[in-house]
Amino acid sequence: MILLLWAPKLYALTPVYNLDEETNIYQPVADIRVTTEEGGIYLSEIYSGRPIILTLVYTRCAGVCNPLLMRLKENIELIDPKREFTILVLSFDPLDTLEDMQGMAKRFTLDEDPRWEFAVSREIDKLNRSIGFNPVRAGAKRQFDHEALLIGINRNGLITKKLIGLRNEAALGAMIVEINDVFVPSYPLPDNKRSFSCFNYDPATGKNSPGWGLLVLSLPATLTLLLVLVIGINSNHEHH
Amino acid sequence: MMERTTLARTTSIWIIAILLLFILSVVLGIIMRLSQGGVISQSPVVFYSQMTTHGFTMIGIWFVAGMVGVNYLMQRYVSAPVKSNIFALLFTIIGVVLLWVTTFVGKFHTGWTFLYPLPFKIAWAGWATPLFFVSLTILGVGWLVWSVSLLMAIFKKYSITRALAWQHFGKNPSFETPPFILITVITLIGVITCLLAAVLLIVLFFAEYFSSGTFVNDPLLMKNLTYFFGHTIANEMLYLGLATLYELFPEVSGRPKWKTTWYVALAWNCTLVFILTAFFHHMYMDFVQPESFQIVGQVASYLASLPAAVVTVFSVLTLIYRNSIRWSLTNVLYFMGVAGWVIGGLGAVIDATITNNLVLHNTLWVPAHFHTYNAMGNVLFSLAFFNWAANRFAGIGESGGANRLKIALLLVGGTGFLLMFYLGGAYSIPRRFNIYPMEFSLAASFARIAAVFAAVYLAAVLIFFWDILRKCLKLLTYSR
Ligand code: HEM
Repeated sequence: MILLLWAPKLYALTPVYNLDEETNIYQPVADIRVTTEEGGIYLSEIYSGRPIILTLVYTRCAGVCNPLLMRLKENIELIDPKREFTILVLSFDPLDTLEDMQGMAKRFTLDEDPRWEFAVSREIDKLNRSIGFNPVRAGAKRQFDHEALLIGINRNGLITKKLIGLRNEAALGAMIVEINDVFVPSYPLPDNKRSFSCFNYDPATGKNSPGWGLLVLSLPATLTLLLVLVIGINSNHEHH
Repeated sequence: MMERTTLARTTSIWIIAILLLFILSVVLGIIMRLSQGGVISQSPVVFYSQMTTHGFTMIGIWFVAGMVGVNYLMQRYVSAPVKSNIFALLFTIIGVVLLWVTTFVGKFHTGWTFLYPLPFKIAWAGWATPLFFVSLTILGVGWLVWSVSLLMAIFKKYSITRALAWQHFGKNPSFETPPFILITVITLIGVITCLLAAVLLIVLFFAEYFSSGTFVNDPLLMKNLTYFFGHTIANEMLYLGLATLYELFPEVSGRPKWKTTWYVALAWNCTLVFILTAFFHHMYMDFVQPESFQIVGQVASYLASLPAAVVTVFSVLTLIYRNSIRWSLTNVLYFMGVAGWVIGGLGAVIDATITNNLVLHNTLWVPAHFHTYNAMGNVLFSLAFFNWAANRFAGIGESGGANRLKIALLLVGGTGFLLMFYLGGAYSIPRRFNIYPMEFSLAASFARIAAVFAAVYLAAVLIFFWDILRKCLKLLTYSR
C-alpha cells in the first residue's frame, strides 16, 4: 500500500550515477609508447613528470570528438594555471597519422600550448584494454561508436578518475585535483534549503557558529531521558 | 522438565531464525573473502549488495539475540513481556525480508551504514531506496516497542533509582539490585536512545526525498546521527549479551550469584553516559566537527569500554581463580566470549586514539576489531545462552557430545579468520574494496586464507545449529 502511494515518485527516479566511471579505477594504465611532435616517448616518462589528462579521439570523427575537445579546451581555460598536468590527446584510429593529429591541434589553436600534446600510437589496443575503452566500428564511413572519455592518470601511472560524457568545469577540476593526489575537504555553506546545519560557516568572517543541527543531534538523548522519567514515575513499584 | 510457556516457544523460534540468518550471512562473508582473494569473480554491484546485506543482517540478528536472552531471563525478576516479543518477531521477519529484497533484487548497495547522501545516488533500482527505509522503519518500530516494553516491565517493580542501583553508592544499602537488572536497564536506555536517533535519521531522509529539492540535509548532522545509531547499537548489543553472562555464568559454573557492589554500580552508570558519546570518534576525519567533539570522542571511547570491561573481567577471573568450576559448553562459550570482547575492545581503543586513527582509518583494522568482539565475543555470549536455553527447552542437562570439536573449530576458524583482517590492517589494506589493486600485494592472499578459516568457523556454527535446532524443535513440536 505504502509503495503504491509512492509509485509515481519511484518511476521518476532514474540512475544518476554512471557506474562505468568506476571501472579500472586505481588500476595502472598500460605503459605504451606514443609518438608526439617531439618523437617517441613512453607514457611513464610523461606521467612521472606531470599527471596526465588523457582523451581518446580520431580526426575523421563526425560525432562527439570535436565537441569533446572544444569543451575540454574551454574548461581548461577556467582552471587555475598553476595546476600541474599534461593533456594528452591520443588517436585511437590506426588510420590517423601524426600529421592528422597536428592538423587537429592547429584547428583548435592548441599547437602552441605547452600543456597540450597530440599523439598517435601503435599500441592503442593495449591501452584501450587497460582503461576499459571499447570503440566499435560503425557504418561504412570508417566511423566509430565510442564514448566521450577523459582519463585522469596520477604520477604513479594509476587511473584515479574517469569522466564519461561532456562534463563541466567542476568535474574537470575534481579530476585535476585527484590526479595530483590532493585531498579535497568540502562542507556546504548554509542556505535556505538546509535548515538543520550543525555549524554555520560564515565565509566573510571565517567563523563557524553552532546551528540547529546540534539541537537535533541532542534530541534522541533528551527524548529518552523524558521517556524514562515518564515511565519510571508513572509505574507502580510493587514492593517485594 | 521441559518448559512449555509461550515465552519459551517464542524464544526458540527466535533462536532458529537467528541461527538460520547467521549461517546465510557467514556464507555471504566467505563469498566476499573469496571474491577479494580473486578465487571467484563478482561485479562490484553484487559484492556491495552482499556486503550491505551481510553487515545489516549481522548487526540486526545479534542485537535481537541479546534482546531475546534478556527478555527470557527477565522472568526471574519481573513479569516478562511476551506480546511485544512476538510483535518484534513479526516485525523483524517482515523487515529482514524487505531488506533482502532491497539488496538482492533491487541491488541497493550503500554499505550497512547507508551514509548520506549515498542512498540518493541511485545506482540501483529506483524503488530500492524508499523500500530500504521502509524496511528500516519496520525494524525500528518493532525494536523500539519491544525495548520500551522491557523497560516498563522492570520499572513496574524497580523505581528508576533502584533500577540504576544508585542506593549502592551509599553505605549498607538496604536493597540489592541484581546485576542483571542493572545492566539490562543501562543497556535498554542506550538502545532506546540509538533507535530514536535512527527514527530521526529516517525522518530526515524521507523529508529530503519527498521535498523535491526544497529541503536538503546537512551531511555532518546525518553522519553524526548515523553513527549515533550505528555505533551505539553495535555496542549496546554486546551489553545485552553481557547481561545474560552476569546471570548465567556463576549459575552454570556452580558458584554463588554475583552481587552488585558500589564499583559495579558505578562502572555501569558511567558506561551509560560514555557509550552515548563515544560515537564521535567516527568523525575524526570530518574537519568541520570542532576539536572539542573529537576530544570527547577519544576520551569517551576509552571510558566507555574500560569500566564495564575491567569489572567484568575481574568478576570472571575471581570466579574461576582457585575455585572448582563445573565447566560446560555454556560457560566455556561465555569465557571465550569475554576474551574475544577484551581483545577486540583493545583493537577498538587503539583505533579510537586520534594519532593511530590517522593511519588505521578505513583500513581492514576496523573490520578486524569489530569482527573480534562480534564473531568471537557477542556471538559466543548469545550461543552460550542459546545452548543453555535449548537444553532447558528439551528438558536435558548441560552435557554434549561434540563439545570439544565445536570449541576447537570455533577457536581455530575464528582466530585464523580474524588474524587475516588484523594483518590486513597492519599492512594498511583498505576496507570495503571488492578487489585489491596490485600495490596491496598480500591482500588477496590474506583474503583467501581468511576464507578457509571462515569455512572452519562455519562448520562449528553448523554443528551448533543442528544441535540447538533439534532441541528447540522438540519443544515446538510437543503437543499439549
Ligand atoms: C565468519 C564469519 C564472518 C565472515 C566470513 C565475515 C566477513 C566479512 C567481510 C569479508 C566483510 C567486508 C570486509 C571489508 O570491509 O573489506 C565484512 C563486513 C562486515 N561484517 Fe562480517 N563476517 C563474519 C562475521 C560477522 C559477524 C558475526 C558480524 C556481527 C556483527 C559481522 C558484521 C559485519 C559488518 C557490520 C560489516 C561491515 C559491512 C559494511 O562495511 O557495510 N560479520 N564481514
